[in-house]
Amino acid sequence: MKQKTDVLSGTLALMVLKTLEVMGPQHGWGIARRIEQISGDLLAVNQGTLYPLLLKLEHEGSIASEWGASDNNRRARFYRLTAAGRKQLQAETRYWELSAAIIARFFTVKAEDLT
Amino acid sequence: MRALRRFMIRLGNFATGHSPDQRLREEIAEHLALQTEANLRAGMSLAEARRQAAIKLGGVEAIRRRQHDEAGLPWLENLLSDLKYALRLTRKNPGFTAVAVLTLALGIAANTTVLSWVSATLWNPIPGAAHTSDLLTIMRGNRTDNPTPPFSFPDLLDLSRRTRTFSGLLGYHHDYMSLTGVARPERIYGALTTANYFDLLGVHPVLGRAFLPREGAPHAGAAVVVIGYGVWQHHFGGDPSIIGKAIQINRHPYTVVGVAPRDFTGSAPGLREELWIPLPMDRDVWGFNRPDYRGIFWLNVLGRLRPGVTSAQAQAELNLLMQGIAERFPEDHRNSPNAISLDPLWRSPFGINGYLYKTLPMLLALAAVLLLLACANVASLLLVRSVERRREMAIRLGMGASRPAIIRQFVIESLLLGLLGGTAALVITEWTSRGIAAFVPPSSLPLTLGAHVDQRVLFATIAVSILAAIIIGILPALRSSRLPVQSVLKEEAASVSLTWHKSRLLSGLVVAQIALSLVLLVCAGLFTRSLRKARQADPGFEADHVLLASYELSPAGYTRATGAAFDRQVLDRLAALPGVESATLADFSPLSFSLHTDYLQVQGYVPQPHESMEISRAIVGPNYFRTLRTALMAGREFTAADTAESQPVAVVNQAFADRYWPGANPLGQQVTDGGERFTVVGVAGNARYRFLTLPPEPVIYLPDAQSYSPTHDTIIHLRTTGDPRTVAASLEIAIHQLNPDLPLFNVNPLPVTMQLGTLFGRAAATFAGSFGLLAMLLAAVGLYGVVAYSTRQRTREIGIRMALGARKGAVYRLLLGQGFRLTLAGLVVGAVLAGAFTRLLKAQLYGVSDTDMLTFVSVGLLLAAVALLACHIPARRAARVDPMVALRHQ
Repeated sequence: MKQKTDVLSGTLALMVLKTLEVMGPQHGWGIARRIEQISGDLLAVNQGTLYPLLLKLEHEGSIASEWGASDNNRRARFYRLTAAGRKQLQAETRYWELSAAIIARFFTVKAEDLT
Repeated sequence: MRALRRFMIRLGNFATGHSPDQRLREEIAEHLALQTEANLRAGMSLAEARRQAAIKLGGVEAIRRRQHDEAGLPWLENLLSDLKYALRLTRKNPGFTAVAVLTLALGIAANTTVLSWVSATLWNPIPGAAHTSDLLTIMRGNRTDNPTPPFSFPDLLDLSRRTRTFSGLLGYHHDYMSLTGVARPERIYGALTTANYFDLLGVHPVLGRAFLPREGAPHAGAAVVVIGYGVWQHHFGGDPSIIGKAIQINRHPYTVVGVAPRDFTGSAPGLREELWIPLPMDRDVWGFNRPDYRGIFWLNVLGRLRPGVTSAQAQAELNLLMQGIAERFPEDHRNSPNAISLDPLWRSPFGINGYLYKTLPMLLALAAVLLLLACANVASLLLVRSVERRREMAIRLGMGASRPAIIRQFVIESLLLGLLGGTAALVITEWTSRGIAAFVPPSSLPLTLGAHVDQRVLFATIAVSILAAIIIGILPALRSSRLPVQSVLKEEAASVSLTWHKSRLLSGLVVAQIALSLVLLVCAGLFTRSLRKARQADPGFEADHVLLASYELSPAGYTRATGAAFDRQVLDRLAALPGVESATLADFSPLSFSLHTDYLQVQGYVPQPHESMEISRAIVGPNYFRTLRTALMAGREFTAADTAESQPVAVVNQAFADRYWPGANPLGQQVTDGGERFTVVGVAGNARYRFLTLPPEPVIYLPDAQSYSPTHDTIIHLRTTGDPRTVAASLEIAIHQLNPDLPLFNVNPLPVTMQLGTLFGRAAATFAGSFGLLAMLLAAVGLYGVVAYSTRQRTREIGIRMALGARKGAVYRLLLGQGFRLTLAGLVVGAVLAGAFTRLLKAQLYGVSDTDMLTFVSVGLLLAAVALLACHIPARRAARVDPMVALRHQ
């Protein structure tokens, strides 16, 4: 049976930012849905943790929010990436790529490479 | 940056009470709707779709909670609600609060009072100077209780030129000068200083400038003066154009070049200098040429260490330099020690710190013991109250409060008490900090001891209050947070109590209070007995019925010849006054730090190399020993027949004779002072002139007619038949008949001026005494409170005992016995602690051993009696209770 992995703490913020970059302004449910989709349903976003995180990101100035109309014309809160958030995303992306590359090297290393 | 932005928004939300709750509700409703739709599309039934959506979202309350925490600042919010609760609790029990706050306030105030003195003296040895921690006092020879200025000007110049460890050395000599040519001539303490004096201290005149190097150049100098702020204000009305004007000092004109800052009082801690003149002006000011002589040691020297140099390196360097100087000029340095010792200013042997650095830390230790006792007292109150609040705490824990939350609540309550106590302590300290000045009697020394609540004291008070709060809060907090919730909630109200024997902690606190108060009482007892011993000690003279009065002839224009004649006239006239038994004069008065010293050559005595031949030298008039009632062991005393023309004579004291001519007859021996040979004609009994508590030292007496100097104060000594004060007026009239313009000062009975000699003993006895009494009171109240509380808790048990036939006397004895056992334990612990503690006082005690049995036993008995009284009251009340009432007691 395939176990759904919980989102690593700290990485959820990065996923939210990336989702908003790719998909444009989204409401909360939309963001949660997209993250699960992108991960190929390997990740289960604890949807409850999403809202405090969105508020935190908003406090930090990485995202902004405003009321809008959802697909079926109901009132929904839409979140979008700000310029500061875009910069933060770029910085964190570089950081993650670097970290991933380093870890990858460790996994592929063989004894003869080190002599 | 992002974190700051987030913090500011949260702080804003917190302050305005803004909450995004409504927004979250709407978002969640929308979220659920969207998820339900998605589930429906996936083929679920409507009910199942809703259920799954809710499960996926999770607990809405938890989300709201987290959202709320993110929106505001939860820790600040909790803190405020705890504080609100604590304030409510404080207001609800005004009696409890008042007792706890007052107790803490007294304990804290004892510490901050002593700290305010430490701050004004040891911490701030030279007000207005920069970086006083780099400054060192430089001494030749070992540290003594009675140091004299150690350096000559040529030696100082040589050292200054060669030293590499000091960035500079400054020298000064201070004494009284007279400000003349003004509306009210005044004796003012002033100093002759090296030209770098102000620059090296880092003191910048508020007006004008400090000295220029050429103004202090040897054999040159300039008649310039820097005046103190007070002199500028009082004598010159704060004249902003004072710079460049001429003023008169000891009848010579000086140009004012600068005004010192308001708080600067010179470089000897605790002494107030108010005039500063370049060293080479010695001839004008005091009529000497001391700067020219290598063998006249008259300068105090301070040095400023270069950065990174240790005191030991500096000492090694100066030792080397000084040895070199002594070898090149052996004649000038033979009879004085040349080894250098350095002291930081907080324990500089010159000025008041030389005495305070021993007394104040000891007082601080006593105050700390008092604070500990006050904390134990309040902790026991809090502990009793925490027992009464067990149910409340159990309910809180049961409702899900975390242990840290419970501890936080207690800590905040005790912090509140601590800070209230600290605030009250500041108010008390504002008043008591001035208390140190009350111990200084009228004297010839320009002592300045102005302590007040400064910034350091303020911070110290806050720190001490918080420390006290932690001490008193930690026990109840830890106990309450470990409550077994279930059993406490199940217990009946009546049995929610701690019985006497179960409460080891409470008993421990009572024992601690008794023990600590015994420590303080023992110290108080020892100091009081020591002071009494010192007062009862035979000083070698009779102080009662002696009146002193001083004048100074040199500023009034007298010369050696006219001055001596004037003195003789004064004595003749005073001796004839009604109510005067005999009259004499001297250049010092006993026990007021005014005895001078001189370098002597003693015939027939060969000093060790570098043994100091600096010996106390008193200049006295005829009839000195008769007037002071000092015994003459052999020979005669000075009479009017000892004049400038007759053979120079001297009287030595017994200590002098024993030290330098052991086994030989001192009469007829010779002593050389300042090139003059004096023949010993009398031996006087030993008298204590510096401290009552130090063994007598050698003293030589010279007749005023033969070694007269008009520059020192002349101090008239009158032995009166009645109260010396009644003669004061006629004395003044008699002297003013001879010279109407001669200012007379320090007109006081000798016992009053002698108070200076016991200054530190009195301060220690007074403070230890008041701390001790306070401690006893606190311990008694603490014991009473605990016994009263425990008897209240045991009311039912007592009722049962009495219903079963126990007599009142038995119940009384039972209850008293418990208090007695605690007292006994406290006394035993206290005696051990006191035994260890009083060892620290050994050096300060006179005539009493630090383990004085009489003190320990009498103080112990006193404390035991007070403690039993404190137990007696609640025990008797409990024994009188009606058993029926007791049984119904809840």
